[in-house]
Amino acid sequence: MHAKTRGRVVADTVAGLQRRYGSAAVHRGDEPDGGERASWGTGIPALDVRLAPGGLPRGRLTLIQAVRPGVSGRLTLLQALAARASREGDVVYVDVAASLDPGFLADLGADLDTCLAVLPGRGRWREGLAMARALVVAGSPWVGVALGRGRCPDAGFEAALNGLVEAVHRRRAVCVLAAPSPPAAPLAYASSLTLSCTPVGWQEVHGDITGLRLALEVTKSRLHAPGATATLLLRYPRPYATAEVVAYPAVWDSSRGDGAAPDAARSGWARSNSLRPGEGEDLPRPVRTSA
Amino acid sequence: MAAQQRHPELRGEAVVIGGDAALRLPVLAASPPAAAAGVCPGQPLRQAQQLCPRAAFISVEGGDVERVRADVVAALGRLSPAVEVGGEESCCDLSGTHAVFKDEGHWAAAIARVLVETLDGGLPSIGVGSTRFVARMAALVSRPHHVRRVPTGDEAAFLAPLPLGMLPVNPAIGARLAVLGLDCLGAVANLSPVELQRQFGAEGLVLHRYCRGEDAGGLVVDTGPRRAVERVVLDGAVADLEVLRFVAHRCATDLGDQLRNRAMVAVAVTLVLELESAPALGVTAPPPLPAGNAAELWAAVLALLGEVHPSAPVTAIRLEVELRGAAGRQADLWRGGDAQREAVLVAAARLQRRYGETMLRRPRLTVDPGDLPERRFAWGSPVPGPGGAAERAPQGGRAAAADGEGLHARPSTQPAQKGKVPWSRPRVHV
Repeated sequence: MHAKTRGRVVADTVAGLQRRYGSAAVHRGDEPDGGERASWGTGIPALDVRLAPGGLPRGRLTLIQAVRPGVSGRLTLLQALAARASREGDVVYVDVAASLDPGFLADLGADLDTCLAVLPGRGRWREGLAMARALVVAGSPWVGVALGRGRCPDAGFEAALNGLVEAVHRRRAVCVLAAPSPPAAPLAYASSLTLSCTPVGWQEVHGDITGLRLALEVTKSRLHAPGATATLLLRYPRPYATAEVVAYPAVWDSSRGDGAAPDAARSGWARSNSLRPGEGEDLPRPVRTSA
Repeated sequence: MAAQQRHPELRGEAVVIGGDAALRLPVLAASPPAAAAGVCPGQPLRQAQQLCPRAAFISVEGGDVERVRADVVAALGRLSPAVEVGGEESCCDLSGTHAVFKDEGHWAAAIARVLVETLDGGLPSIGVGSTRFVARMAALVSRPHHVRRVPTGDEAAFLAPLPLGMLPVNPAIGARLAVLGLDCLGAVANLSPVELQRQFGAEGLVLHRYCRGEDAGGLVVDTGPRRAVERVVLDGAVADLEVLRFVAHRCATDLGDQLRNRAMVAVAVTLVLELESAPALGVTAPPPLPAGNAAELWAAVLALLGEVHPSAPVTAIRLEVELRGAAGRQADLWRGGDAQREAVLVAAARLQRRYGETMLRRPRLTVDPGDLPERRFAWGSPVPGPGGAAERAPQGGRAAAADGEGLHARPSTQPAQKGKVPWSRPRVHV
């Protein structure tokens, strides 16, 4: 077969496969999809090592959901991720939960000059997702959507969500949604990586609440086997310290001094986040993982 | 050459290429018989008419000239990797390619053969030299249909008797040198460059370098138009316009991503619909502004899609763009999204118009926050400029071209609010 004809046949075949199985099924080695990193590192080593691509997947939806109603820490975690992303590039934060505090974002270390806040109003899922989709199509590389409690979303929510999924996939953007419990069924279906937040307890120092401990579990993953867990401490901003998210086992192990420092402790996080003597004695002993 | 190809009956006749004589436009080119009568480029057409009244006066056609130029570039590109094509002359850099032909004479013969084939029998004068300047002078002194070769080492002897008027320098300098009795290149080459610089400044040094046959200028290589093509074969013949729009959007998105990754823009867009039982239907138009991303390209493709009216079901869609370097555009170098920041701002402005200005805000920390937490920050518009309206963006029509919601791009069904402009389909001038 002539080389030109063969190339055309191959191109048609690849186009057919992509049309049937999705554009991610087959792609050339010199395309951006082949060389670009498939994940975005969260900056939380304890979380990154438990996610197979080494972070949150690009081109897919990541859902941070609460396990039960009430305080879960999902919005704080979302804002912490948005703050880290803002130090790397432009960030769009869609605040459907009407809970965004830019001052808290700044406390988390966000570069507010790169943050674009979309404020559709509480419960307006359809408008928020449609605007998020438009901005992703325009080229925003990182989008966070905070979905709050409230009335059920209207009928257009599912179509807007599908549009967002398609746009995120095409643009290979990072999209993180924080949803209350229980998450809407289309949301749970569209998610490629679902992190369930279970609050473990408040972190208190001298009677003051300084943070929230939460257990993260990968309850759904289309990229690797689910089931990985991590315990994080969302440290709230204090007059003498900035807000941050650290791995809780690192804090626990370093305070015990048993020498079994996990990955986060090796990276230097433990020094700045070690508990004072007497703190956290009522906490359950963390399950040691083999990571 | 373009005029000769368009009017072959005038071959060998006196032909003057120019514009409208009533507009006092100058002569652009003249055939050898007209030049023998005294017509030269730059003369007023009325003067050319007086000098050569029997000449045929032909107006220039830009498309024909571009076509001839592209043919010459393609033909010479087969012999030399570096080709520069100007208005009246072309240059090839043959250095490093001497293994193909054994000497310069064979090179010149090969070039002449290629040009005869390309120009349909017409052959300009050809010069071969060790530098660009020497080759140009050799071509100028050569006759049409002849090749003048200046061997290496004979440059000074070749240039010495040539008149100063052939040099591409200020005519005033030539006039001053002529007053001094220096009327040929050899006389000037014997002067001291210091003296020439003292008299004529930097141009004196350039003049001395030319007279010695030296030329430091390289070729401005014309790589020709680069194209990118995206073709999608449909599952069977499709007559639904919505499906065609979806597939065209996909092609535009893929091509737009290629443009963004290669830091290039599309200056011409061609949409071809391959029909089931009819010849392919195509339409070409330049985008309103050079399209550098998927949103801008999709606006142009959407306009083209509205202009084609297929008479049979469509079996494949081919989208072809002509590429150029994206001058003045930010590329993705250090931070993710840098190249898209402008498009994101345009999309934000459009969303503000559609949903309200308070829907999209950019927070900033206040200088004097005070005691209350809510005073630590202030909301601002994400779009630069007062009010952040997209119409005030300096990109002009790019606000319409970079449609963020391309897949659902259609005229807004919402009533136009006071002071706001609803989205409308961009127009393409064919």
